[in-house]
Amino acid sequence: MASEATLGSGRRNWLPAWLAGDTVQGIRRQRMVLGVLFLLPTLIGLILFVLGPIVVAVAMGFMKWNVFRPPEFVALKNFARLFRHDLVGNSFGNTFVMMAMTVGMLEVFAIALALSVHRFARSRLAYFFRTVWFLPVLLSGVSVAVTLSYMFHTDFGVVNYYLGVLGIDKVPWLVSSDVVRFSVSLATVWRNLGFTFIIYLGGVSALPQEILEAATVDGARGLKRLWLITLPLLSPTILFATVIDVIRLLQFFDEPYVMTRGGPGDSSRTAVMMVYDTAFANLEFGYASSISVVLFLIILAVTGFQFLLSKRWVFYQ
Amino acid sequence: MSALSRREMLQASAATMAAAALPASVTLASAPSQDNITLRLQADPRDYQEVIDAYAGVAPNVSVEPVSVTGIDHAEVATKILASLAAGTPVDIGFAATEATQLYAGEGLAMGMKDRLLDQADDLMEYFSDVSPVLVETDFYEGDLYQLPRDFNAANMWLNTKLLGEAGLELPGEDWTKDDFNEYARALTGLGPEGDSFGFAWNNGLWGGWLPWIFVNGSNLLSEERVGGGEWLWDTFYADDPNAEGRGGGFRWPEPQANNAANVEALEHVVALTRDGHAPSVERGFAENLSGFFAADKIGMYPGGGFFTGFLQDAGMEPGTYDAQFWPRWQSQRHQLGVGALWILIGGSEDAAWDFVKWHTGRDVMEMIGFFRVTRTTPARRSMCTAERFPNVSNWNIFYDTVDARPDTGPIPAPVFSIELTNIFTRYTEVAVSLEQSPQDTLDAMQRELEDLYARNA
Amino acid sequence: MTVINRLSTRRRGDEEVVERIPDWMPRNAADWLAMAFMVAIGMLTIMPIVWVMTTSLRTPAESFTVPPEWLPEDLYFGNYLQVFDEIPFVYQMGNSFFVTLSTVVGQLTTATLAGYTFARLYFPGRDALFWVVLATLMIPYQATLIPLFVIISKVFGLADTLWSLILPALPTAFGTFLLRQYFLQIPVEYEEAAMMDGANQFQIFRRVYLPMVAPGMAILAVLAFNGKWNDFLTPLIFMNTTSRFPITLGINDLQRYMMTGSISVVLAAIVMATLPVVIVYIFGQRYLIEGLMVGGLKG
Repeated sequence: MASEATLGSGRRNWLPAWLAGDTVQGIRRQRMVLGVLFLLPTLIGLILFVLGPIVVAVAMGFMKWNVFRPPEFVALKNFARLFRHDLVGNSFGNTFVMMAMTVGMLEVFAIALALSVHRFARSRLAYFFRTVWFLPVLLSGVSVAVTLSYMFHTDFGVVNYYLGVLGIDKVPWLVSSDVVRFSVSLATVWRNLGFTFIIYLGGVSALPQEILEAATVDGARGLKRLWLITLPLLSPTILFATVIDVIRLLQFFDEPYVMTRGGPGDSSRTAVMMVYDTAFANLEFGYASSISVVLFLIILAVTGFQFLLSKRWVFYQ
Repeated sequence: MSALSRREMLQASAATMAAAALPASVTLASAPSQDNITLRLQADPRDYQEVIDAYAGVAPNVSVEPVSVTGIDHAEVATKILASLAAGTPVDIGFAATEATQLYAGEGLAMGMKDRLLDQADDLMEYFSDVSPVLVETDFYEGDLYQLPRDFNAANMWLNTKLLGEAGLELPGEDWTKDDFNEYARALTGLGPEGDSFGFAWNNGLWGGWLPWIFVNGSNLLSEERVGGGEWLWDTFYADDPNAEGRGGGFRWPEPQANNAANVEALEHVVALTRDGHAPSVERGFAENLSGFFAADKIGMYPGGGFFTGFLQDAGMEPGTYDAQFWPRWQSQRHQLGVGALWILIGGSEDAAWDFVKWHTGRDVMEMIGFFRVTRTTPARRSMCTAERFPNVSNWNIFYDTVDARPDTGPIPAPVFSIELTNIFTRYTEVAVSLEQSPQDTLDAMQRELEDLYARNA
Repeated sequence: MTVINRLSTRRRGDEEVVERIPDWMPRNAADWLAMAFMVAIGMLTIMPIVWVMTTSLRTPAESFTVPPEWLPEDLYFGNYLQVFDEIPFVYQMGNSFFVTLSTVVGQLTTATLAGYTFARLYFPGRDALFWVVLATLMIPYQATLIPLFVIISKVFGLADTLWSLILPALPTAFGTFLLRQYFLQIPVEYEEAAMMDGANQFQIFRRVYLPMVAPGMAILAVLAFNGKWNDFLTPLIFMNTTSRFPITLGINDLQRYMMTGSISVVLAAIVMATLPVVIVYIFGQRYLIEGLMVGGLKG
């Protein structure tokens, strides 16, 4: 960090009087001006490329549109249909179940990995493992489709082959409607662990050593220290990672799409797959938009709830 | 609807969307100038660059610009095409397989070719004489022709002759039956170096899924009828062709019949293959791997058309270890078919596009297309289907004979809403082949959802 | 926890010798448990990748076996050569690098500035705006894709250009959120000290806070790089010309008409396209870890 003695020296007269840093008013004004300036790039970009399309998409939720003909206003018909549509309800249910399983496994594994590797932090071994765990995140598209479906195939699959070596019967990973949500969640954990891990790695590395050492001296060890000291200190990162993972996984698409296309039947169909198929296979863009709007509201509610709850367990220094 | 109004419509709907987001900034695409025309052609440049270069010599004022659509499955391709339509910048010349032919024609996007074909009949006599009427009929919609067939694939059966030899079996004859097939499926199971081969494997889709079994059992997923009309074409180009007799102005599928007795029987047949261990579990994401397993001697029989020739060559399968045969006979031996061809956008540069599409039917032009070099699909022109085109396949003649010698071969059912239809079909199929629901119950449920689909699109 | 306690005393003959335990060596039961867990997860994550590499060095006829062949033998590089025959691989890699690096630099800029505002600068309506930014993460991208394309092509006329892939990716709600959390973790005392010293608010941002969120920026850089590099749906819709494709579309092209391309060739292209990302990650990791360590000691 820059030496504090040099900070700002001789610059006081450089700013106009109303922004002068020696009054509380001036500081407040500085912060406001800077805040607005700093937000501008993000705001302009979001308005043009994100909020604009979102407004159109939300508006489409009240229309009937198949691309070929101009949109037609239908008021709340799409929403009325959606609440009667079993398939939509089912896909939201699947999304929640798979999100819960996946986020649960992701957070536990990622925290455990981050804490484990931190024990060997500067060694080449840690370097090697951090790279290995991140590899599946780096893979894209076809290779994920090819490898995931190869791993989990009932008859040709790698997983069942090695289970067979251990004397375990073939598991119908992707063809049993009871098992498929778990298999897809497992595959998603495989693909995304590196992503969540790296977020926790940041959090774990930023843990204040003084406090941890003091705790050790005071006799907090093992699980007790983990539960009473380490995890609370890590709580801002846990909040961030779970919020992001919940938002991402309520929009679950890639892994179930390449592995099962939502099957067998509809047992692994997710809300976003419903949106995608409704729009691009059934050509009902208005209806697809209305499903997105409902999904959006649900995610918003869940995230708001997480933040509310966080006041009770997240600990900022 | 007139040509002009169609284009205005597209632009209007694009404008509506853009306006909703940012009111003041809408600009419409400028019309191409009269003398120099750019045609946007939906094609992979690897396959079409030579064709495009050759056309520059034929029509110097027209430049053809390939628009590469890399999507693999229908939803991806549709996403791309629909987005370009919404933005008012669609291609001038599109590509459609049978799945999408009626969609583009039915939505008033594709140009009917009747008047131009009759006007310039002399120029096209040679082309039609080289193309089976079975293929042409597939590209009809409500009495008009919307595409000139370029390539096609019917579901035939590929067999691993190495495994056949191990089982002491000969390649089946062309009149083999479903019962023969079951014998083969049993005999080809449990062979190969690791003793773990499956007699038969298939992918869950509309084309090449279990629909071929529906066809040979004398049925269809939807009721099928021929639309009247089309005499203008048959009388002009196929007056002497016995195979053209009784054809009309295209197919129509008025209602679903998923749960009729023949269809239930066909589904029971494929479910039994999995249940008895003669076919592996059917899993959606596994399509690409499955063909790899055929090449690796793990699968005895596999549905496919002429397109599989190129794949097996690339896959490194040894010559003489595979061959193809007709689909086995049951109540009939009617094969299912998909045809690929170019279509012309109404309201684009129609005249220039037509000139290109017509020129593109020439034999010398088709020979330049990349995917006919290493055979990745079956040419619609009979004269191009030769032994050289299908190396290492001794039964290569069956590919074109599927339409010439079995003229009852017909298209997969592909009404305007065929993509949604396919999704419903494959979804319910999964439930049955995972043995979680009986074929009868599955098809009853499928039928109900298809009826909803029809009601919605009525 | 880590850096300390790396010395052990051992008696050698008469004298007591102080030795440094190698960094990778487990010292106690907890270390051994951690090691076992790391190895297990490592094996599970790397196996599919090994299979991808092995298969890319063979023809499909030789590689689709049960059990899979993990080790390549008689390396067959034909698949790799074929990639260069079929697609303009070097061009498309160049496109991917240009798009990805521009996006990463852009996102780091916008997210650092916006994240700082949401963490440390106050003005009326700021918290409501934060929720608006966060809310943009919650609408499925698939639903906004077509309107976005209409805007990109009609309003900006950017369809089929690399800018159409870069510009919409510059604002990042995820990055803004991530960096906000990092800024929030820095104790306010630093800021107060600098203010006593007469620094203005920009100087406080630039000299006090910015260096301390380096780990957050490194993490955002890695995740943004990876996300953009693997982006498929956006270029599929936006791009038409093969020579302007990013490599993700090029790889899809290798599947060819009727999906008759060789899977091994596709996997060969994937290995080659992933290699630079892995290298970027390995080098990036050095900065990442250094940054994390610095941040950690300060935190």
